[in-house]
Amino acid sequence: MRFRRILPWGVGLLALAAGFALQSQLYTGQERTVSTVLMFVGLAAAWNLIGGYTGYASFGQVGFFGLGGYAAVVVMVHARLSFWLALPVAAVVAGLFAAAVGWPLLRLRGHYFAVATLGVAEGLREVVINLPGVTGGGAGITIPTVGPDAPTPWLGNDGFYLLFLVLAAGVVGVAALIAATPAGYALRAIHQDEEAAGAMGVNTTVAKTLAFAVSAALTGAIGAAYAFQQVTIFPERLFDVDITVLMVVMVVLGGSGTVAGPVLGAIAVGSASEWLRQHFTVGHTLVLGALIILAVILLPQGFTSYARDAVASHRYSLLENVRRYRL
Amino acid sequence: MSAILQATVYGLLQGCMFGLVAVGFSLVWGVMNIVNLAHGAFVVLGAYVAYEAHRLVGLDPFLGMLPAAVALFALGYAVQRYLINLVVNAPIFITLLLTFGLQLLVVNGLVLGFTADYRSIPTAYAARSLVLPGDVRVPLGRLLAALVAVGLTVALGYLMRRTRTGMAILATGMDRGAARLMGIPARHVYALTFGIAAALAGAAGAAVGGVSTFSPADAGRFTLFSFVAAVLGGLGNTAGALLGGIVLGLAESIGGQLLPGTLVNAVAFAVLVVVLAIRPQGIAGRAFYAARVEV
Repeated sequence: MRFRRILPWGVGLLALAAGFALQSQLYTGQERTVSTVLMFVGLAAAWNLIGGYTGYASFGQVGFFGLGGYAAVVVMVHARLSFWLALPVAAVVAGLFAAAVGWPLLRLRGHYFAVATLGVAEGLREVVINLPGVTGGGAGITIPTVGPDAPTPWLGNDGFYLLFLVLAAGVVGVAALIAATPAGYALRAIHQDEEAAGAMGVNTTVAKTLAFAVSAALTGAIGAAYAFQQVTIFPERLFDVDITVLMVVMVVLGGSGTVAGPVLGAIAVGSASEWLRQHFTVGHTLVLGALIILAVILLPQGFTSYARDAVASHRYSLLENVRRYRL
Repeated sequence: MSAILQATVYGLLQGCMFGLVAVGFSLVWGVMNIVNLAHGAFVVLGAYVAYEAHRLVGLDPFLGMLPAAVALFALGYAVQRYLINLVVNAPIFITLLLTFGLQLLVVNGLVLGFTADYRSIPTAYAARSLVLPGDVRVPLGRLLAALVAVGLTVALGYLMRRTRTGMAILATGMDRGAARLMGIPARHVYALTFGIAAALAGAAGAAVGGVSTFSPADAGRFTLFSFVAAVLGGLGNTAGALLGGIVLGLAESIGGQLLPGTLVNAVAFAVLVVVLAIRPQGIAGRAFYAARVEV
């Protein structure tokens, strides 16, 4: 029993060590690709807290990504704050904002919550575009990264690789901690039956608002790291809806509501999309679309759930899997 | 004063257009609880069908609605029957992802086939305007599109409430299990519903092509407008999408007069968020659809 409890943490530490070891084996282009995949591991694990465990489909998650990114850049440019202070500032700003909007919006359910959060993200982007004095507006804003003016010198490809690796490990660690504590049970109870969870004494409003805020804070921190990596940031890129969709695709295909699912999903989908982008200059998105369709039809419950059931029942047929979910 | 009046007229016409784009989206959401992220792509596809019909045989875009609707009906029926029906019993995100994949497929297919250039279908009358007293102009093309929007919404309402097919669709939407026990072929009815919605999207696309420019990149925008219009108007009522579209159109055009910069885009979403927080079933929607938690 004790062994089974320690095993996942051991696997996690091994994966982290493998991440450190992998770095020396990559050339620059590959290093950037793996950094991007690591960033999505963190984003997917953060989305999983609200979307997977709690079951609230936040389709405005990229809003927190962009908000964190812009919060970090604004304090670095205007207040000359070091990046290492801007990172926690970004997390706190995104978390507090999510708590403030989450309080009313988390009363909505299902698709309605999804649309409302989508609206919040779109609204944030418009606000950023219309405050050119602070954010540079649609023309973008640049962080000074070289010379004596720079609050923090640019970290280089090696530095950002390590930063995204540590951030991803941190987010996955937080998710694993939450999953193992009563807070995680409360969130899963809300997912399964919110009224029943309330009747059993879970303060559902506080629990889901906290989950939303923590998820947003982690997303905001990753957004800050991304903004610093990009040096010049634009609202269109930092509030790109496709980033939200990628997070959701990764979590759902990997297995939502599990610790390992988003990590596996992000590595699989992230690598696939990067590989397609490099090998099919024309039409790589077309192939990605076809792959997503195929994957959701064959594995509608996500890879981790499928693997667990398949191993337990010795039924590995994907066709049988399709038969279970069709009309 | 005249500027505000002009903005109101324009917003009303634009709103009917949004309603026409959104009505199929709202139907699919209401009946099958599927948020079809490929809806905007279907609209653009309809515009291209009408564009090709115009290029090949010189068909007027408003007559081109017919081939667009027929082609999209066939596509929609097949998509629901052979793809979406396979995952109907899976968790809710799955249909979102499936339709998102479909959107990527259609949009990028269109980019490969037609490039990403902006196009329009030229007509002799679309650019002309009726001039009302007070120098308020009513563009003829948009007026025609608005009339089509109202006509199609009324026709859809008749289909849903007065025919056996419509009753079967409504019954399946309310309780699929019970409907199947009554002998309604749910697989066929779902495919039919999706086909009708896609046909409406195709017709809307042809109308869009007749009065403004379009490109594959517009697909996401059309889906977003449909989302907002469907939620504003409310589900479970065919007139809901049209009503929501009109509210959205008015908010955008009047907001555009009063607000600086592009803040008007944020206003549409602010209205949406407020409506959701106060009246989740929308302006004309039925509470049944808002209270429904995904199964």
